[in-house]
Amino acid sequence: MFMYYLRLAWLSIRRNPVLSTLMMAAIALGIGAAMTTLTINYLMSANPIPDKSEQLFYVQLDSWDPNQPYSEPNEPPDQLTYRDATQLKEAGAAKYQAAMSQSAAVVEPEGLGKKPFMAHLRLTHNDFFDMFEPPFLYGQPWSDEADKQGHLSIVLSKKTNDEVFDGANSVGQTITLMDKQFEVVGVLDSWELKPRFYDVTTGAFNNMEHGYVPFKLRETIEMPNSGNTNCWKSPEGEGFAAFLQSECINYQFWVQLDSAAAEQDYMSFLNAYVEQQKQLGRFPRPLNNRLSDVMEWMENQQVVDDDAQVMMYLALMFLVVCLLNTVGLLLTKFVAKSGEIALRRAVGASRTDLYWQHLVETALIGVGGGIGGLLLAWCGLQGIKTLYGDNLAGLAELDLTLVGIGIALAIISSLLAGAYPTWRACRIPPASQLKTQ
Amino acid sequence: MLTMNNVSKVFRTDTIETTALQSFSLQVNEGDFVAVTGPSGSGKTTFLNIAGLLESFEDGDYLLDGQSVKHLTDKQLSRLRNEKIGFIFQSFNLIPDLNLFDNVDVPLRYRKLSKAERKQRIEHSLEIVGLANRMQHLPSQLSGGQQQRVAIARALAGDPLFLLADEPTGNLDSKMADSVMSLLEDINANGTTIVMVTHDHAQAERAQRHIQVLDGKVTEQHNGPVTAVPLRA
Amino acid sequence: MNHIGPIFRALLRNKVGAVLIALQVAVTMTIIVNAIHLITSRDDLMSRDSGLDESNQFYITTIGYDQNYDARYVTDSDLDLLRNVPGVVDAIQINALPMSNSGSSRTIKNAAGEDAGDAGAAVYYVDDHAVNAMGIELLAGENFKPTDITWREMNKGDWPQTVMITATLATSLFPDLEPQQAVGRTLYTGDDEPMTVVAVIKQLHAPWVGWGNIEHAMLVPQKSDSVYAHYLVRTSPGSRDAVMPQAVAQMEQRDVGRMVLEHDTVNQLRSDSYRNDTALQSILWVIIVTLMIITALGIVGLISFTINRRRRQIGTRRALGASRGDIISYFLTENVLITFTGVVIGCAGSVALNMWLVSTFDLPRLNLIYLPIAMLALLAVGLLAVYGPALRAAHISPATATRNI
Repeated sequence: MFMYYLRLAWLSIRRNPVLSTLMMAAIALGIGAAMTTLTINYLMSANPIPDKSEQLFYVQLDSWDPNQPYSEPNEPPDQLTYRDATQLKEAGAAKYQAAMSQSAAVVEPEGLGKKPFMAHLRLTHNDFFDMFEPPFLYGQPWSDEADKQGHLSIVLSKKTNDEVFDGANSVGQTITLMDKQFEVVGVLDSWELKPRFYDVTTGAFNNMEHGYVPFKLRETIEMPNSGNTNCWKSPEGEGFAAFLQSECINYQFWVQLDSAAAEQDYMSFLNAYVEQQKQLGRFPRPLNNRLSDVMEWMENQQVVDDDAQVMMYLALMFLVVCLLNTVGLLLTKFVAKSGEIALRRAVGASRTDLYWQHLVETALIGVGGGIGGLLLAWCGLQGIKTLYGDNLAGLAELDLTLVGIGIALAIISSLLAGAYPTWRACRIPPASQLKTQ
Repeated sequence: MLTMNNVSKVFRTDTIETTALQSFSLQVNEGDFVAVTGPSGSGKTTFLNIAGLLESFEDGDYLLDGQSVKHLTDKQLSRLRNEKIGFIFQSFNLIPDLNLFDNVDVPLRYRKLSKAERKQRIEHSLEIVGLANRMQHLPSQLSGGQQQRVAIARALAGDPLFLLADEPTGNLDSKMADSVMSLLEDINANGTTIVMVTHDHAQAERAQRHIQVLDGKVTEQHNGPVTAVPLRA
Repeated sequence: MNHIGPIFRALLRNKVGAVLIALQVAVTMTIIVNAIHLITSRDDLMSRDSGLDESNQFYITTIGYDQNYDARYVTDSDLDLLRNVPGVVDAIQINALPMSNSGSSRTIKNAAGEDAGDAGAAVYYVDDHAVNAMGIELLAGENFKPTDITWREMNKGDWPQTVMITATLATSLFPDLEPQQAVGRTLYTGDDEPMTVVAVIKQLHAPWVGWGNIEHAMLVPQKSDSVYAHYLVRTSPGSRDAVMPQAVAQMEQRDVGRMVLEHDTVNQLRSDSYRNDTALQSILWVIIVTLMIITALGIVGLISFTINRRRRQIGTRRALGASRGDIISYFLTENVLITFTGVVIGCAGSVALNMWLVSTFDLPRLNLIYLPIAMLALLAVGLLAVYGPALRAAHISPATATRNI
């Protein structure tokens, strides 16, 4: 019977090409707008590390000004001081822990025709690689010894390795950064995180780094910090050492805790640590430490852009208008078919039979609209890429899940739109339409 | 086979009540050819709709093939219509998108029949009406008389207990009307019961029985002359 | 237009189509009003005056990479070079570019001690050429003197004696004074380090375009002893596009252990910074236009349908003496009634959506002037949409009344 309904639906759609096109176009436009904006929101709110997002925790300590919270109502600062970052690392109370911050340096590649360029780097501990598990193409992370001593070691991104070493296995080679010879210990394979969750303080959707270097280098060779620095009081004393010991915050700190018990233990450890610091005259505010897992942290930092959300809500309302439109057009179409409906009732079709027949017709229109909508969404995303450029790089791509969502959304919304007209069509009293009018 | 006992039907709007049928009683037997006549608004169409299970009624009872239809659900009524009744309308009511084969197929689709069985029935009934060679044509490619023949084929394909014809020749010129009438007479002669509403007294006279409806009541009922049915070879 | 009563009663009996159109108009209006509101509020954001002479300026960003890089020597000689390129009006080294979204800020207090009034301000480290190179205007006071300029080293707390502040910052710090009267006052920062206001600037933007206090900026008479350097260059009117490549080429020719990282016009810097806003505006425009078209097509579809259903009734009216004009005005009146209902609901919807956007996303409040404008626009769209079908209805022959179709 389904095939019969499908054939009837096809004939009916062909019967009024203008009306059918109009309906499909209305659904397509609604779905196109909804899918375009849904895609961006979906990708912005995606879980960047689904396998481990509940084991990785971002650490916040309230080291801020006694007179006012870091932000209302009583939020602890979003970063740590250098002092706390290094001391938490040394304590080693979690399975893995890494402090990190954004840095930058000029790379001077060797070889003809290769120009110096500005490399974005991440200062971090080698636990970074154990926690976030980036894929290694060659080599491995630097050693614990390199972490402690601040060796001039570097793990390169695939792109940087391609540019500087033409993609060859460069492990053991050296690369010149800040006029110093760094030894390449590892090369990552392609690694893109959207959002780049481990550091959202300078923008959740920034590009990945060119390379990763031991955190200790911040101190030993004074590698610059290019992230945000916030201070509630001036450093005590002059010079770089005083600055590092100041209450200025500009470091992120992640830990891996594999169980709820481990999480509790770590929280107790943090509280004890702060109590101990209070003895030294630091941490003037009441105890207010936080552990947030990846998705909690993304929520807290509101990585999904407000504009993107507003656009999504407007687009969903747009879809509602398109559906109201489709309801009207379907009413028109089904009333035009009332003669046929009455005849089918007379020759023995039950209401249920006719309901199915028209649902299939509606769904077919929905599929047509859905396919059109996905094409429009694709065009819409191209348009958005052009409008936003790098600001939305990697966030305007349809994947298979989204295509599925799009088709499902189209069918569901067309069935919703079709419910009332179909119901009404099937209520047509058969006798009324069979007489000559 | 078709028995109505004191059937009443009242149409209501917000302000007006119209009695369409009043204590309407009628008995149709197997093999009958019954013509129903009456002026506009007499209730003959209401009678036909009730007889065809297209409309409900208030009082009285209607037995179809010995079964009371009063308390049946929509599904059961649809099924009865499908299996026991064949409809023929004044304006043919063919579905314009479907070719002749598919038009005749419509009632059969609502019955669980095999594809081969449906095909056999469709071809057979189109043969009876003399259009077996035009199965792939669309209704719009046919004359009015031919379209009505397709409608008759559609009514016959389900192998119904009786045919209900509502002004079957009303949209046809006299020559075509005559040939459609002859076809109905042939079908009746082969054993199919026919109830036909018409306003054409000449046609009504050709039927075995002639019933007149006035103000929702059967006012006159007599056995008409049995016409010599010219059987075709 | 004198038969609104019967039309209205007829509508009540034929609800579904009318309800559909009214709802569609209401939702359309809700979206359009809020979209227009968003567009204009972004326009307001983007049309703010940064204080710079934007169309005659460009910037060059450099970084020293050589181990023996001498920042002070290179900066001074680069400034010499830039100021002598033909067509250049003036040039400065600056720690952060206005509108670049990256820079530094400090808390400034109007008195010493803990209870003083304070305000956050963007800090620009510049020399005495800044007023000229930026193209800013002084409301009161005197520019820095060449002797005021010192070198600022990384991580050193030396704070200079003099600053220039914007008028808005002056008002925030001294709410009781005219901005000009801030000249000569002492401000404090950090551990109560004092500094004297030598001049008040009419207008200058902080680097962060999304910051609520974007007009809080302060000039500090220091050049940065740092490997990074931004140079802001102002050219004579109209010569920017010719001068910029020359200046960059001359900079790149020098072999002093630094490289040019980036250079572009200030206009480009502005459009990059506001790119998300212009993009949002374009998208909203597309939504508005498509929505109007869809709503219009929806009305055309439904009205055509009702007219087809009422052919006979229309024919009868014609037979009974209604003129074509009467028929057209019947349908136009009917449509105005429906659309009007829609836009009234749409007013409520627009305000409700805006209230939600305000509370959820901190968007600005709706200017109510958009409501009557949108109502009129949608009524016009409704009338345009219904006019075609109404005209066809008017051409239905009176004979339809007596004919069987």
